[in-house]
Amino acid sequence: MAHEDISVIRLRDLLLVTVPPDPDDQTISVLQERVLDAMARQDCRGLVLDISTVQILDSFFARTVAETVQMVSLMGGRTVLAGMRASVAITATQLGLTMGKALTALDVDRAFDLLGALPPKGDGYE
Amino acid sequence: MNDIPEGELRIESENDIVAARKVVRRTATAMGFGITDVTRIVTAASELSRNVYQYAHFGTMRWRFLNEEAGVGLELVFEDSGPGISDIGEAMRAGFSTSRGLGLGLPGVKRLMDAMTVQSQVGRGTTVKVRKWLRRSYAAAITSGGDPPQG
Repeated sequence: MAHEDISVIRLRDLLLVTVPPDPDDQTISVLQERVLDAMARQDCRGLVLDISTVQILDSFFARTVAETVQMVSLMGGRTVLAGMRASVAITATQLGLTMGKALTALDVDRAFDLLGALPPKGDGYE
Repeated sequence: MNDIPEGELRIESENDIVAARKVVRRTATAMGFGITDVTRIVTAASELSRNVYQYAHFGTMRWRFLNEEAGVGLELVFEDSGPGISDIGEAMRAGFSTSRGLGLGLPGVKRLMDAMTVQSQVGRGTTVKVRKWLRRSYAAAITSGGDPPQG
């Protein structure tokens, strides 16, 4: 899996990252780094992780996502996991995985709606 | 089925975790498992091969097409000569959540598969065998919810 496959796109004031279908551990770690780097450099209020093509979500992946959600949160942003496949949701639940405090949405479009509708962090929302 | 009915893969680097996932996905799909079962089996393979790499640094995964009295299915065997597990009962009980990645995640893997057996000796190594049935024979289905003990 080539790391160049991962692009962090800024759309309005949100970051959009599409996770590849079968990422190895290294790719997942690189993805986390790039996301945090982009959060720091750009004035963004949140992150949308498009996982609609992801075929497998194991404990390493889940832990890294949960960590990323927590780190983005410390930097003042919110994370939405968008488009998890039914087979992946079933497997992740049976395996006992949790994604930390990630918000979820059926697809990227709804994820943008969700973040757009939320007041900025530090505005007494939490 | 023209796809490889059985084989062996060495697990000795992080990349082999992905290689294990690929071969298991290809085999399970070729056997006719549905998308959800394929995902379950591939996820189990990912967890178990990571355990091998993480705890023993190297080992093997063997896969085998099962066609026996009990039914038709897929068997995966992960074997290493790592540190071993001192209390298998504890490893099977400990922690529902594997999200911290600190536990062995064995209870979670067991839920994804139809049967799992763990053999381990401290200082000698660990063998984890998992099975998923594509079709179970009627007799096997009514007599056991799990796997008969393996030798």
